[in-house]
Amino acid sequence: MADAELRDKIEELIRENPVLLFMKGTPDAPRCGFSMRVVQTLGELNVEFGAVDVLPALEPLREATGEISDWRTFPQLYVNGELVGGADIVEEMFASGELAELLGVEQPEGVDATSDADADQRPSGQSPPLQIEN
Amino acid sequence: MIERALPGAKVEVVDETGTGDHLRATVSAPQFAGLSRVEQHRLVKAAVQERMNDGSIHALSVKATPAEPADPVT
Repeated sequence: MADAELRDKIEELIRENPVLLFMKGTPDAPRCGFSMRVVQTLGELNVEFGAVDVLPALEPLREATGEISDWRTFPQLYVNGELVGGADIVEEMFASGELAELLGVEQPEGVDATSDADADQRPSGQSPPLQIEN
Repeated sequence: MIERALPGAKVEVVDETGTGDHLRATVSAPQFAGLSRVEQHRLVKAAVQERMNDGSIHALSVKATPAEPADPVT
């Protein structure tokens, strides 16, 4: 059973952030390849997003998201309160244009799912990572 | 493990780093028809949950596509 307070906190974050990413590390310093890929993808779309570093409370967070969304792996992207998925799904939807549509932004020109040419792009106006007290 | 959980699926698993713990699974299964990407991925992950829980799989990349039940060989 996940900690009730933690679950409530997570559900609140999901509700209050139109785009919310649970990731390993922070957008400026991702600690895993999959998390980095999602951050880069969001950067290509120039979208602001809330970010939660799951590493300080990994197992409790797996339990909590497992109960909330039946999804226990990170990174996990939520848009408008709904789970979009992990890095693979995010990239597939980015390549197909679905992600841009979901986020209400323009699809960048010449998008290639396998390209990493824009690795240096950072999202502008990025808010600092959200803290979760455990 | 995936083939057992999803009978009739075409499964290809690639070891991405040579150490057996970073895997890429490409799965084409009739069970995926009509499911969202999230649900398709959930099915694949559930099939290997044991190995993800015990740490022997550290990272799993999933590519899921629906398939016809009787895929003709071309």
